[in-house]
Amino acid sequence: MSKSQFQRGQLHRIRLHVLPTQRFKTFSISLYAGLPLKEETVTPVALIPFVLRRGTAATPETIAFRERLDDLYGAGFGFDVYKRGHSQIIQFRMDVINDRFVSSTTPLLSASLKLLGEVLTDPATDEGNRLRAKYVEAEKVTLRKRMEAIVNDKIRYAAERCIEEMCHDEPFRLHALGQMDDIAGITAESLTAMYRQWLSQAAFDLYVVGDTTLEEVKQIVARAFRLDGGEPSPYTSTPVESTPGKVRTIIESMDVSQGKLNMGLRINTAYGDDDYPAALLYNGILGGYPHSKLFLNVREKASLAYYAASRLDGHKGICTIQSGIEIANYDKATDIIQKQLESMRSGHYSELEMSQTKAMIANHLRELKDSANEMISFDFNTVLSGRERSADELLQQVEAVTAEQIAAVARKVELDTIYFLRDGKEE
Amino acid sequence: METLAYPGVMETLYREIMPNGLEVVVLPKEGFSKTYATFATRYGSIDNRFAVDKGDPISVPDGIAHFLEHKMFEEPTGDIFATFASQGASANAFTSFDRTVYLFSATEQIPANLETLLDFVQHPYFTDENVEKEKGIIEQEINMYRDNADWRVYFGLIDALYHVHPIHIDIAGTAESIRQIDKETLYSCYETFYHPSNMFLFIVGGVKPLDVMELVRNNQARKTFAPQGPIARYFDPEPASVKQPRKLTALPVSQPKCLFGFKEHREPLEPNALLRTELITKLMLDSLLGSSSPIYHELYDDNLISDSFGHEFNSSEDYAFSVIGGETRDPDLLIERLREAIENTQKSGLNVQSFERTKKKKIGGYLRMLNSPEAIASEFTRYRFRGADLFKLLPLYESITIEEANKRLREHFNWDRMAVSIVSKGAK
Repeated sequence: MSKSQFQRGQLHRIRLHVLPTQRFKTFSISLYAGLPLKEETVTPVALIPFVLRRGTAATPETIAFRERLDDLYGAGFGFDVYKRGHSQIIQFRMDVINDRFVSSTTPLLSASLKLLGEVLTDPATDEGNRLRAKYVEAEKVTLRKRMEAIVNDKIRYAAERCIEEMCHDEPFRLHALGQMDDIAGITAESLTAMYRQWLSQAAFDLYVVGDTTLEEVKQIVARAFRLDGGEPSPYTSTPVESTPGKVRTIIESMDVSQGKLNMGLRINTAYGDDDYPAALLYNGILGGYPHSKLFLNVREKASLAYYAASRLDGHKGICTIQSGIEIANYDKATDIIQKQLESMRSGHYSELEMSQTKAMIANHLRELKDSANEMISFDFNTVLSGRERSADELLQQVEAVTAEQIAAVARKVELDTIYFLRDGKEE
Repeated sequence: METLAYPGVMETLYREIMPNGLEVVVLPKEGFSKTYATFATRYGSIDNRFAVDKGDPISVPDGIAHFLEHKMFEEPTGDIFATFASQGASANAFTSFDRTVYLFSATEQIPANLETLLDFVQHPYFTDENVEKEKGIIEQEINMYRDNADWRVYFGLIDALYHVHPIHIDIAGTAESIRQIDKETLYSCYETFYHPSNMFLFIVGGVKPLDVMELVRNNQARKTFAPQGPIARYFDPEPASVKQPRKLTALPVSQPKCLFGFKEHREPLEPNALLRTELITKLMLDSLLGSSSPIYHELYDDNLISDSFGHEFNSSEDYAFSVIGGETRDPDLLIERLREAIENTQKSGLNVQSFERTKKKKIGGYLRMLNSPEAIASEFTRYRFRGADLFKLLPLYESITIEEANKRLREHFNWDRMAVSIVSKGAK
């Protein structure tokens, strides 16, 4: 198997990553912008992409901006705000079809990058080069509604509350969208200042996958992005933190039919570490798949849940468990899950568990290559962690992991927080 | 094996009908690491009354198709997920209104995984004990959806639109209905709907069509299925009116979620007309209400809709309805404003530029979808079961005229056949 074939380049403050391929019917573009996650800046930074997506200097009216996207054969355009380790990341994503399938008069890749360049560096403004006050005010409302809506999805709400409680004295407790109380104070002036600061400080990575080359992308970006000189900002890798001590149990009430049981574990291993492949296996054997301990014991054997799974966050060095159960079964389910953690710690993994989990991880790493966006996300992990490791290399490392190495990870794992969302009734 | 070339989208399909009636289609994707296979039966939640070969109709409990899907994963040797995991494949299944689909995705051991897929779906293993055990799991699945506001508002709308058609029944059934399920009913549903002549196998990815066909042919030759006549599905006549104009559900949500839709009452259409009508209606709705329409921007500026606002149109031989809406601060004002805008557009007709732009957008969206093996398999099967061909949509989209869209604009929105479903904190 070949190494990652991204061609790397740089243009002023932006790192360029281009993967030339004819496998897809599209060009996939992702622009990442990362800043350290901080209480003082998290909210205005989260608001920036909401305002930028409303229009550009060339097409300041939102409706005209959306029409431009439709004219590019309905180019997909979206953004996301999330946290990775101690960074707050904004990702703009575009997907546009390759011109050869349609009788287009404009080259679609350059038109898309031009639009993205405008969004990032040449937004719609009022006089005085201030971000449009109308858009700032409207998107403050949208941001507030987004934050309020987190509670609508109880599974996600419980997962986020668990992390918030677990990391209550770290920046990671912050929601990527920011804090409700900070929204009202934001003005067009203050947001414009934050935007300029963000442009000059954030770490920018632009990815393009499709039938193109690094040279072509570089030429288009040079024309399409109004960039000041300078060098790209690096990501600082996150030291994995641990707060040893007692397990905290948080029980919260809400009008729910089903109890949502979540647990947060410190795995004390990060993406860039040598034992990260062993941590992947730890998570896979514990709860990553339908053959894993959690699924087998909580669901198949005890019939307590429809879903019972674990998820690894390598950038933060934590593992989270989530399950939906009958409220009265809290003790039973907690007990079964704790037994699985204990069994992980004891280091007894069957040959079958090992080989099944390795096969599933290997399959996932091979499948990445069939999706442009997945290849981009995977490659961005290397930028974030500072650890160069292609999917093929990670796959080989996973294949080589021994039971003893997984047990070594398991011995470092600490249960930190148990969070249970239940109904309002007393027992 | 026949070869079907689609130069417009640069794809080639290979198709064969096995002697037992199973239809197989292979789409090789050069350069892809993964293979994605779906094995589907024309059997979903709405098939709750049926007969085979002109026999007596039988009625089965709600949620049984979905229950059956769960139980297929159990074999005397254990859970089939474990077999797939040993072969590096991730497997899954889902049940919709009109089909049940079993699938895997893998990068290695494709022949072994294909055999596993064919064998486990063609081998039911139900015992009193394993059927009983599943009830607790499915009850938790039902409870999970009860807490899901998006699910509740969506199925609440369908329930408000339909009096008798089983589309208004939850796909998973209820805690009460699944308690009535036993292994005998499961076997009789299985034998009726999992006959190869009622099933469809689709394989997309880095495979060679000749090898795949040979594998399937040999696999099927090892099994015997008694020939089966046609399956009749019975639906009571559905009134033209909606069942309930307004359905309210109470859940702790930040803002009301509001979906409303229009129920169409019409004679069954033949497959091509059904498909064309569906595409025209979707195009019309997007041109009228999409994210680059004037009404969308007015409502967004007035804080009546959010990014969650959307629209869809669902149709089959015996039902057709739209779904419009999202989160809103004021459901009634939202509907009033949309009604005004729709009635104005009905008078003026759709804007020509906007219609042409929407057409471009739909064509782009269609081509982008063809990057995804999962989406291709799912959409191809959906269209196939309705007698249509996914790879023939491009010229169809191109041929739709604004006159057709305006005609649909004028006939679809019948305000006497509109229902609204609202999920909010206060609703009781």
